[in-house]
Amino acid sequence: MIKVQNLEKIYRTEEIETVALNNVSFEIKEGEFVAMMGPSGCGKSTLLNIIGMLDDLDAGSYLFNGTEVAKFNERKRADLRKHNIGFVFQSFNLIDELTVFENVELPLMYTGVASSERKRIVDEVLDKIQIAHRRNHYPQQLSGGQQQRVAVARAVVNNPKLILADEPTGNLDSRNGNDVMQLLTDLNEKGTTIIMVTHSEHDARFTHRIINMLDGQIVTQSLKV
Amino acid sequence: MIKNDLKIALRQLLKNKSFSIINISGLAIGMASVIMLLLWIQNEMSFDRFHAKGDRIYELWNRAKWDDKLECWPVTPKIAAKSLRTHYPEIEKVIRVDWPNNRLLITKDKRLFSHGNAVDPEFLSTFSFPLLKGDINTVLSQPRSMLITPKLAEKLFGKEDPIGRVITLEDKKQLTVTGIIANPTNNTRFDFEYLLPWKFTELDEGEEENWNNNSTRTFVLLKENIDFSTIQNKIKTLRKDYSGVNDVYEMFLYPSYKWHLYGSFTNGFEDGAGKIQMVILLSIIAGFILLIACINFMNLSTARSEKRAKEVGIRKTIGAHKSALVAQFLSETILLAAFGFVIALLLVKLCLPAFNKLSQKELYIDFANPYFWIFSISFILLTGLLAGIYPAFYLSSFNPVKVLKGTFKSSGKAVTPRKILVVFQFVFAITLIVATIIVNQQINHVVSRETGYNNKNIIFHFLTSDLTKNYEILKQELLAQNLVQSVTKTNAPITERWSDSWGFEWEGKDPNDRTDFDRYIVDDAIVKTAGLKLLQGRDFDLKKFPTDSNAIIINESTLKVTGFKDPIGKIIIDGEEPFHVIGLIKDFVINSPYEPTTPMMMMGAKNGWFNVIHLRLNESTAAQDIKKIEQLFKKYNPEFPFNFKFADEQYAKKFDDMQRVATLASIFAVLAIFISCLGLFGLAAYMAENKVKEIGVRKVLGASVLNITTMLSANFLKLVGIAFLIATPLAWYFMQKWLSDYQYRISIEWWVFLVAGTIAFVISLLTVSYQSLKAALSNPVKNLRTE
Repeated sequence: MIKVQNLEKIYRTEEIETVALNNVSFEIKEGEFVAMMGPSGCGKSTLLNIIGMLDDLDAGSYLFNGTEVAKFNERKRADLRKHNIGFVFQSFNLIDELTVFENVELPLMYTGVASSERKRIVDEVLDKIQIAHRRNHYPQQLSGGQQQRVAVARAVVNNPKLILADEPTGNLDSRNGNDVMQLLTDLNEKGTTIIMVTHSEHDARFTHRIINMLDGQIVTQSLKV
Repeated sequence: MIKNDLKIALRQLLKNKSFSIINISGLAIGMASVIMLLLWIQNEMSFDRFHAKGDRIYELWNRAKWDDKLECWPVTPKIAAKSLRTHYPEIEKVIRVDWPNNRLLITKDKRLFSHGNAVDPEFLSTFSFPLLKGDINTVLSQPRSMLITPKLAEKLFGKEDPIGRVITLEDKKQLTVTGIIANPTNNTRFDFEYLLPWKFTELDEGEEENWNNNSTRTFVLLKENIDFSTIQNKIKTLRKDYSGVNDVYEMFLYPSYKWHLYGSFTNGFEDGAGKIQMVILLSIIAGFILLIACINFMNLSTARSEKRAKEVGIRKTIGAHKSALVAQFLSETILLAAFGFVIALLLVKLCLPAFNKLSQKELYIDFANPYFWIFSISFILLTGLLAGIYPAFYLSSFNPVKVLKGTFKSSGKAVTPRKILVVFQFVFAITLIVATIIVNQQINHVVSRETGYNNKNIIFHFLTSDLTKNYEILKQELLAQNLVQSVTKTNAPITERWSDSWGFEWEGKDPNDRTDFDRYIVDDAIVKTAGLKLLQGRDFDLKKFPTDSNAIIINESTLKVTGFKDPIGKIIIDGEEPFHVIGLIKDFVINSPYEPTTPMMMMGAKNGWFNVIHLRLNESTAAQDIKKIEQLFKKYNPEFPFNFKFADEQYAKKFDDMQRVATLASIFAVLAIFISCLGLFGLAAYMAENKVKEIGVRKVLGASVLNITTMLSANFLKLVGIAFLIATPLAWYFMQKWLSDYQYRISIEWWVFLVAGTIAFVISLLTVSYQSLKAALSNPVKNLRTE
């Protein structure tokens, strides 16, 4: 599904150049659940952002489902994202001014789903992640775990082929963390490809494969049994 | 999507109440000012543009050399109409309209003054004043017929049908109401409550055939599809062709759409001045007021962008295009503008009566007019776009990676534009403050100008009805009862110039001299009555010197023109009649107080006619005496109310126009500074909020409240300082230009700018320091902990 070759990303300021990713190549197959690990600043989030088309790369190739997307303009990237990719963040990133229902509904609006259809889909997803009773609450009225469940609901509402999760349990206690990991595992079992950046060995255990990074490079790729 | 955008917008507005209040109130004030100015502008632009045949209606003008300058004016001989009708096949109709005349109208139980015109009957089929009752072909066909407006009909006859009713004039002439003509709207030069047929004016004196008496206004309706330049060329020599004398006057046609806004000529040609200048100036001011209100929104939105950054990041992550975000932010601003507009309408409703008083108009919002709603929607959209477009593009350009990672700090990128916009606001505000001060100075300068006579305690009264006949006996009685110090009658009020002439002759006059003299006709004791300053000779005194009806008093300007060494006794000829100079007075201001005084001939009654009686009251008993004077006037002029005027009040009216400009300038200055400070207040609040940690750290390290207040305020005050530097030359330039229109004027002094700058500085200091002080006084421990 994803094939990255010789990827490079350099951050430049007036005084210094920082190589964030250096000659990174890897492949992820459809249906995989992959963890990216490594110390802070090793480039794993940058890599995740590039995969999610939130950031661009300076050199190398990025094939998404066989299409070269490295040179996509902003509009095409936005289109690719909204139809194919769901995001889950450590800090949930829900919109404070929208209710649970409206937050989850948002991606459907950008893909142009009709209003009645949206209602049906959102209700279904909220049911599935067992947060339907909170549908009219605002994010600040929910616990961290509940907020992250809403974020996951929002990530999956469009039925994306790929979910990118950046430390999804980083702000949660272990019980809520486990719940979220279970949610992701369920999604993966139903066929969604998931790439997750994490510091947690515990969370990594839920995945099929771990990519270890250091100083902008992939050091090991270990397949779990 | 739009519904969703609006929902979010509404929640944003409710959540950030202070932001919303600052923005909505700023926009509402700005929009209300713009609406009122637009009402005024629309009214000015629509003047006499509603006549269905307007594109074929023209006014007849003269052009002739005068004092070496080519002058243009629209007062024409009455006889011109006859020649136009006879000799110009291109002309369909010719209409004369005499000057508005205030007449006493008497019915069985009512007597009141009303103003109206005598017009040729074609007036009705040329101009679009609807005839509500009566036959357009006959209503003005009889010399004693009369058209009245519903307003006058109501006053005279109440609810009764006025058609066929008889109205008597002061000279006992009886007129019959033959029709009702609609009240003139508030956007026409014609202002009448009744119309009389032109033939009425010829009842007493017959048809006037004098080409030398420029005395009325003449309008023409051209036939359709006439080549204008051909007729314009033919009209040029109208006077020469038909007056029988080799006249130097040229005539030309001036189109109806230019009457109100233009009509200003220099050296024979349109100079672009006139009302249009005020229209342009006020349009610019309206634009600026709206812009500074929009700037508040731009600045506050970008200043608080960090608060919106996360939302932008999330929306982009889940696939929102930049255009969708721009649309979302714009719909927020448009919603804000819509709220502002509603409040603006309320403000307009509240302020319109005062504005109407100021502008001397009857402006109103026509809610039933579909154009009003089209305008409203466009205005809201325009304001929303103006205020929102920059923040929308700025906010939607955020990089989602940065904002979601939390490394986003609203960069310096928007800081510079923000500063520029604040400077812009204050340049505008300071310029208006300077303008206000200078206009007021100019008014004071002219008001305190030495008038050359004593206009206190003079009253004047027009010589209505029996007053002319009973003048002598009234005068004797006024003096005998010691109610007045002196009495004189004149051709015009002491505050107005009604007559002028260049036809005087004297010994040694340069044959090419065409100096125009004010011509003021008096009978007796004018120096004493008006309190003029006699430099040589004596006052008119008919008792002692019956020949004073052939006497003349000249002023210093006339002395200069004539070059008389010893003026007393010199002979000046007016027409055929010799007048001997009996006195020399100091120049006094009779015309515009903004202009230098002009040469004047104050002449005895021989060649003259009288319209006005002047009384000099006793200084100490004036108030009580007026009652008794009224009784005497009633006794000798029983038909008419005692309708006197104080000369000093009439003189003060000469400043009304300028006073209006001053009031407008100060209103706009106050608005500009208020809206700008509203924005500054908001910006200071955000800055204080953003620097909460820095303030905490500084305080922990020992900074005093004063240190911190100064640090926070200085940034803003620097901007006001820059604005001051830019505004000073700008304001100087504009005000210099404005003053150059007045010959009698102040010179601009440096301290004016200093005062304006200080005002702006102090007001902004107060605005900013409230926020700065609040931040500086806050508990550092709390601030650092919340961080």
